[in-house]
Amino acid sequence: MSTKSETSAPVKPNWLKVTYDQKKVDQMNDLLSGLKLNTVCAEANCPNLGECFGSGSASFIILGPNCTRACRFCDVPHGHPHEVDLLEPLRVAEATKKLGLSHVVVTSVDRDDLPDLGADQFVKTINAIKELNPNTTIEVLTPDFQGHEDCLDKVIAAGPDVFNHNMETVRSITPKVRHRATYDTSLHVLKYVKEHAPKSMYVKTGIMLGLGETDPEVYQLMDDLRAIDVDFLTIGQYVQPGPKNFTLKEWVPMERYQRYYKEAMKRGFKFVASSPLVRSSYKAKEELEAVENQ
Amino acid sequence: MMIKEVHMPKLSPKSDDYFFGKWVKQPGDTVKTGDVLFEVETDKVISQVESQEDGVLTAQKVATGDTTKVGDLVATIETA
Repeated sequence: MSTKSETSAPVKPNWLKVTYDQKKVDQMNDLLSGLKLNTVCAEANCPNLGECFGSGSASFIILGPNCTRACRFCDVPHGHPHEVDLLEPLRVAEATKKLGLSHVVVTSVDRDDLPDLGADQFVKTINAIKELNPNTTIEVLTPDFQGHEDCLDKVIAAGPDVFNHNMETVRSITPKVRHRATYDTSLHVLKYVKEHAPKSMYVKTGIMLGLGETDPEVYQLMDDLRAIDVDFLTIGQYVQPGPKNFTLKEWVPMERYQRYYKEAMKRGFKFVASSPLVRSSYKAKEELEAVENQ
Repeated sequence: MMIKEVHMPKLSPKSDDYFFGKWVKQPGDTVKTGDVLFEVETDKVISQVESQEDGVLTAQKVATGDTTKVGDLVATIETA
């Protein structure tokens, strides 16, 4: 249970004010729980939940709800993993249809316990979505699969439109906030996907600000990403989920988001979203449309 | 005339206790569906909770700084 004394760290800035339409959110929750589906929106207690659920948009998290890793920035529960639900891909596809999503984001918890590290469930989910929703574009946000290329090959072959894997933060902070994931493994994942995916598949990554990163470190990260030709970059504010998580260092001023946006675009990313409430899948549909219409 | 009770909605999937921020509407104010009634702080955000009714706010049952639980009576609205 949370109390004010535990969460009162830095006072929340005004931009963390979000509106909330209870009826619409309840409708969405009913539909999702009826289909026994988890969303990263709810699992990670996302600040944009009210807005996205209110507009009928959601990002599905498969293979959960428990994650085999305990990254210190993350609110998704760490615990004993559940058995793989063989009908989950079909239910994600059904929910995509019921919600009429023209773009769907599928992510997962880490499944270091599975021989395929969860790759097969991504493949089945992509296939099921395509079967039931032939016109829906698909974005995956995957774990690092411990850098295993056979897992990446499987997901690439299933043919999502966007392949996202998050770097999460700059090199120096990575070991402090990520568990069993390294900066270099994540770079390798992105590089491998870019080299082996068809040209039409966009490669995307995202980072959080407010963990104590410096300007030169952020620019180095951008250079590292552009050196391997990553297409999209999302930059958003870390919001500490609870007292046990990595301590928030600062609410990053808007000026830095704007500067990073310009610096990233100058370096040649096709699309950059840089703003406090940006999350990996926030307005992902609009992002893909913007690039496709360029 | 009907008195409708406003209860604290579930604003965070992971917590049922929130800190009451501030009232945006005062007793006697006319409210419309979609108007922001009050602000509440949960772990990650400040949620602006909208009215689900058209009417007049008749009473505030919680104050700034209070801890409120999901389902608690927060206010009453007189509807036409």
